[in-house]
Amino acid sequence: MSSLGANVSRAALCCLVVGAVAMVGAGAARAQSTSDPAAANPAMSLILDTALAYFSEREPDQLGGHDPNHTGFTLQQLEMHLEAAVDPFFTAQANIVFSQFGVEVEEAYATTTALPGRLQLRVGQFLTRFGRMNPTHPHARAFVDQAIAPGKLFGSEGSRGLGTEVSWLLPLPWFVEAVASVTDARGECCARSFLGSEDVPIRGLEDFLYTVALKQSVDASAATTVMFGGSGQFGPNGTGNGNRSAIVGADLYLRVRPPDSPNRRAFSLALEGFGRARQVPGASLRDHGFVAQSVVTFSPRWDLGLRWECMSGVKDDPADPEWVENRRRGTVAATYYPSHFSRVRLQLESDLDENKPRPGYAGMLATEFLIGAHGAHSF
Amino acid sequence: MSAAWVRLFGPVVVAALLASWPGRAEATVRVVATTGDLGALVAAVGGEAVRVDVLAAPTEDPHFVDPRPSFVVTLSRADLLVVNGAELEVGWLPPVLAQSRNAAIASGARGYLDAAATVQLLQVPAGGVDRSMGDVHSAGNPHFSCDARRGVDVGVAIASRLAELDPGNAAIYAANAARLSTSLTALAESQRARFAALSPAQRQVVSYHESLTYLFDWLGLTQVATVEPRPGVPPSPARVAEVLGVVRDTGARVLVQEEYYPTNDSRQIAQLAGASLVVLESQTRFSAGQTYEQHVRAMTDALFAALSGP
Repeated sequence: MSSLGANVSRAALCCLVVGAVAMVGAGAARAQSTSDPAAANPAMSLILDTALAYFSEREPDQLGGHDPNHTGFTLQQLEMHLEAAVDPFFTAQANIVFSQFGVEVEEAYATTTALPGRLQLRVGQFLTRFGRMNPTHPHARAFVDQAIAPGKLFGSEGSRGLGTEVSWLLPLPWFVEAVASVTDARGECCARSFLGSEDVPIRGLEDFLYTVALKQSVDASAATTVMFGGSGQFGPNGTGNGNRSAIVGADLYLRVRPPDSPNRRAFSLALEGFGRARQVPGASLRDHGFVAQSVVTFSPRWDLGLRWECMSGVKDDPADPEWVENRRRGTVAATYYPSHFSRVRLQLESDLDENKPRPGYAGMLATEFLIGAHGAHSF
Repeated sequence: MSAAWVRLFGPVVVAALLASWPGRAEATVRVVATTGDLGALVAAVGGEAVRVDVLAAPTEDPHFVDPRPSFVVTLSRADLLVVNGAELEVGWLPPVLAQSRNAAIASGARGYLDAAATVQLLQVPAGGVDRSMGDVHSAGNPHFSCDARRGVDVGVAIASRLAELDPGNAAIYAANAARLSTSLTALAESQRARFAALSPAQRQVVSYHESLTYLFDWLGLTQVATVEPRPGVPPSPARVAEVLGVVRDTGARVLVQEEYYPTNDSRQIAQLAGASLVVLESQTRFSAGQTYEQHVRAMTDALFAALSGP
């Protein structure tokens, strides 16, 4: 097919898709017609995260790309969030992250708003919806740094990729959402468990990264909500010979917030377990990790977080040759919120890494400031 | 592996397919309201022809509601969503509305009714607004649902929108709205006259937050101070002392606030100044069967009892 022919076909397909969505979306949200050009601008916010940290080790093994990783000051990130309706059928949002080392597109995707059958489609670059922790942006975490297990399994920026995702809200009396996405398995985002290298050609459907998840939630009482789910991620890894990797996970989130508490007191507990299997030349490697974290909210101004986590090691691991024993870490974080748009967090950590001769300790004082219009976060 | 996935997901998929199988068409319009006041107004206008679900608990601060996943399910089935608007729900409604995948109730659709757009808002900032002023809503004060007069406006707008969505019952909605307007207007006038009989000194009040402005406007009361120095900013000890001074200087005898705000500072000021503290039920207890009219009557009665007391 000629280049022109390919372009025409692509355009026709595009028109077909947009036309189908348009028909489906008849009666849906109308695009605002306005003479004020500013009204069409996206909502924009900037979030500045900085930290002052002390580590007992000279080279602490922090796995998150935005974690403080040395004694001294760290610009964790300056995140620019943009969000707007594209038209009556799509919304779009982007998270652009500035750091001392450059600029990265953390997420940039469009979401459908008018598909039938309770379906929703996302297209672009996004954090995959594996479990509960991975889709959570760094600034929305309850702790200054990334948990160990997702850092080891998914990498410093979590599991994210360029691709498409379909999700379905099942027509049941309680919340059940099925999610499936296909993303590129190449690139730095996937080097920890999947292809990683940009040089590997895509030969077929088996060379993409597939993520599936089933998320459910029930209200146990007027104060208590339970959310639980299972996730899986499957794709080729970078050791050649058609070798593949699989990561599975289970997560549970419990939140108790009495609706009659004047101080908006709340308690939450999140548990998430991970297991990974990788085919490598001459062997099959298996490791697993677990994160438990709890946040007690005393008032709109104060909360206290506790986290305990572990991650196993495995011998002859090409990704982590020195990580053969268990690593455990305990964290406590106290956060003060002067308002909804600023916070100061003091965090202490004890890192019991059996791969090292002695435990490591860390203390961090982190601040966050938000300006602009930032969309509300999901539950 | 595949057998395990079938065992894990199979029952859920089968149940979903059974639940989604077309059944007998429902006769009612499914309405979701974000607050108890709005839900009660919909119920008064819609009567038997509507089914109403309310998202926020009546005791919750409607600015800060947990966006529970169950809201997504409720919204996914709605024909009409009635929101307070003026940014009251901006901190929690948008993500659950997006997740509901229900284009019929998306902002701007016929199934989306912004109640704030149907009333005259107070405290609309004339100049620029920024967050150094606290939680100032750029569209105006969103706490209008405690005003029976504005309850009339919202009720009429609900009837009009229900008639658009369900023309077969338009006459019922119009009749119910007319009945609601008559009773609320009578209540509004009688309560205003009752409060007007109080002396100017008795009509002075202190509120915790700028959330009872419409109630004071309706009843002819004068707000001499708020306990919060700026909207959404908790009072410091210095602010508590400052408000105590205002209460003493003006002779205000009543501090009033909704139940979802902390009472310790207001109570301390009231005790030191020899004033009384009135903690109002903030929203209609819709799920307990309370009507909007009963709710606003209870609010005004409690306030009048405190203002007219010894």
